[in-house]
Amino acid sequence: MKYIREAFICILTGTLVGLVVYGFFLHFNIAIYGWNLGLIFAPLAAGYVETILANRFIGENIGAISAFFLFIYTTFYSFILKNPTLGFNIITIGSIAVILQAAFPTAVNYILFSIGFGIISYFSGIFKKITNHVYNLILGYYEKYVLKEPHILDLERIEEKKSYEVPTFNEKESNERINSLDFYFMTSTDLITMKHENIGIFNTHVIIEKYKRLNLTPQEIENKALYELKKGKDECLIKLSEEIKSAGGNGVIDLEIQYGLIGLGGDSFQINAIGIGVKLFS
Amino acid sequence: MILTSANTLANKEIIDYKGLVTGESLIGANIYKDLFSGVRDVVGGRTSRYEEELEKARDIALESMKEKAENLGANAIIGLKISYDNLGGTMGNTILVTAYGTAIKYE
Repeated sequence: MKYIREAFICILTGTLVGLVVYGFFLHFNIAIYGWNLGLIFAPLAAGYVETILANRFIGENIGAISAFFLFIYTTFYSFILKNPTLGFNIITIGSIAVILQAAFPTAVNYILFSIGFGIISYFSGIFKKITNHVYNLILGYYEKYVLKEPHILDLERIEEKKSYEVPTFNEKESNERINSLDFYFMTSTDLITMKHENIGIFNTHVIIEKYKRLNLTPQEIENKALYELKKGKDECLIKLSEEIKSAGGNGVIDLEIQYGLIGLGGDSFQINAIGIGVKLFS
Repeated sequence: MILTSANTLANKEIIDYKGLVTGESLIGANIYKDLFSGVRDVVGGRTSRYEEELEKARDIALESMKEKAENLGANAIIGLKISYDNLGGTMGNTILVTAYGTAIKYE
């Protein structure tokens, strides 16, 4: 509050200088593709003058408030008052982006670089591809120049890749295995014609860590995931049957199999098998 | 092959339990599909391409389950359950479709 008068003068001077600059650009029509450069230079000049004066008379920066006034004024004058029918085309969008960037640099840079690149990378997976490429490039150089045994490591890598190829899941064998456990798995609550005795609710789960090899394609990773999920489901059902058997049962009714993610950032699959353990009398 | 989510078959007598049958399929990484659905997510509306993919995945899971039931000598599946789970994945769009039920024989 001590320097309020000085601050007011600084802002007013900055604003006046900005207006003069804007008038200059308008008068000589200094423009690119019909877009007047005064929209950038007027707020810049206003802010610059205000900051210089404030540093001199107050001893500190007061935040280039005049630049903000100029931004509002020039935008209002150019886009609303002077040209209210301005078409919404790529140049207009670009102009608005540049004006906003000049007025709110931090916010606009954040939107451009963080949100913009974030959206692109999310949908295209481009950064994953770049990191994979860089990883493989560095590894290649490391093997060639540091270890000096590239041929051996290359062979190992090929072997390693081969060993990670997704085996075919034998559906028939899996089904036969589950149904030859001398155990009744029933998703329904109706026991057909059998008498039974309830033992209690049983729940087993299997957790599988997700596959994180960098040198595999997304399709290969998903095939591997499906293979692991099918295998995990069988293991989970076998565990459930064993638990119920050890409690004196020989079947499960109202069986539910659930799949989900668990762990930090969902880095593992969780498979649950839940049901009511029963003892069936044939 | 009769499929039902009910516990019994109406007007039919169940004569034998054949076993548990399951089917799974996964839809996931497809950059163009994801990009397209991403645009639709922004502007709103139905993502028909995704719906088709989900239907295809569900059909695969059901076919796999029915094939197993036939191998067991069943002619119906009761207590059928179908579920769709998002399992993250490369683009966060990996969907696991599972179908499972109790294979039985009826007269």
